[in-house]
Amino acid sequence: MKLGAFVMVPGGDDFTGIREAQPHGLAAFENPRAPYSSRMPILGNDVLQSWMERVRKLGVPSLWLASGAGVAAATSALAEFARQGIERLLVIELKSYAEMDLADLVRFHCERRNPVTEAHDAGGQLGVRLLDRPALRATGEKHESCSSPTKSAQTPYQFSGYAKRILSARERQELVGDGLTGACAMRPLGTQIREQVWIGEGVKVATSARVIGPTYIGARTIVRAGATIGPFASVERDCVVDCGTTVERSTVLPDTYLAPGLLIQNGLVDGGHLEHLGWGAVVDLEPAGLGGRIPRRGARREPFCATSDGCSGGDNALARNFSFSSSSAASQPWLQVQL
Amino acid sequence: MNSAVVKGSIVKDRVKNGLAWRILPFPSASSSASRRAQRKDLLNALRVSESPVILDFSECRSLSFEDIDLLLECLAQVAGRDTQLVFVAGSSATRVLLEVTRISSLAPVFNSIEEVLAHPQVAAERDSEGRDKDHQGANQSQTLWSA
Repeated sequence: MKLGAFVMVPGGDDFTGIREAQPHGLAAFENPRAPYSSRMPILGNDVLQSWMERVRKLGVPSLWLASGAGVAAATSALAEFARQGIERLLVIELKSYAEMDLADLVRFHCERRNPVTEAHDAGGQLGVRLLDRPALRATGEKHESCSSPTKSAQTPYQFSGYAKRILSARERQELVGDGLTGACAMRPLGTQIREQVWIGEGVKVATSARVIGPTYIGARTIVRAGATIGPFASVERDCVVDCGTTVERSTVLPDTYLAPGLLIQNGLVDGGHLEHLGWGAVVDLEPAGLGGRIPRRGARREPFCATSDGCSGGDNALARNFSFSSSSAASQPWLQVQL
Repeated sequence: MNSAVVKGSIVKDRVKNGLAWRILPFPSASSSASRRAQRKDLLNALRVSESPVILDFSECRSLSFEDIDLLLECLAQVAGRDTQLVFVAGSSATRVLLEVTRISSLAPVFNSIEEVLAHPQVAAERDSEGRDKDHQGANQSQTLWSA
């Protein structure tokens, strides 16, 4: 049976987030109105890549990738895949990190003979589903959203392994803590310099700064004098933590500047926005000069994006590990990725 | 409750358990000229106040760097005097900003004026002597109210 895979990187009004779209990730494919992106690294890792690895292990040679506005267009065009001979389509909406054995999901789906199988955990849908050809056709005929077929009474695949929803700041921070302590399979992307402390390439830490494990500091980040990072902190790539600022039990997303003397606790900072996990408040740091977005340097390229010849590329692991088909970028709202 | 208008800012006095509190709104005017006037009034009121003061941020939507400067000036104004200063955040966003800037470690922060008045710890602080003891009490109060 011919199995296809489709990964959708969500974005738009239906997802709560803490910032407006930033020019990261899927440049040409990302919805400009998207909130913070599921492509934002977690301990330096790209969750999209982890899903693509799982799909590759299934023996699927390529997958389709859509993002932002392209997701809606692709969803309404799922019937097209049935016409192309796909008999079963694995659809992954990139909103969770789950250590899921997709082969087991396929087995379950076959045994139950459902047209649609949705993966759930204790918290509900994980954004992973399998659709057989009749269900694919139905989405096209009825112009329904991809999730509509699952509204019927199908037996969901109950996933009991490790899963976190990465669009939730709280669960994201839980994933950071679990990755730092080895409670999940995700490992920080960098060099372990001492127990439970990892740093990426080109990190600069002032001698008077303190780094308290478990902690991760992403590539090219600068930690200035008297700052304290950790415990349970993740400062992702290309950030600057200025003098005397403390980042504790928090995540700082890429390209973020934090002013001197701050106390960031239980928060997620993305450029000039801070989401406080305890108070559930989102605050703008920029008017007070407390934080902001660091302009991206020209030398760094987008992880992948459509180019004039339809190919994509970039300087990150995704581009190194996967190749992008030149077929469809111009005419269709998705890319094909060779696994 | 007594109210008085001081150059456009409404200053209220509240008495609870024999203790008179002066409530000063934090400047929130939209025009810069009005804000400047309000800032001046606020600092003057703090300078002359012999009562404990509640600085009320309820009307503030966010804090600018000028607001942070003013807050530090307010704290400097009461430093070394017997005037107690507490903050009413009014919103969780303001509360977060006060925590992020560590200003909440310098003076206790409450959610509402009623919480300040209802909290016996604050009144006790007024009677305590020495800045260190005051500071310790502030931290205790903050812990109590930040759950």
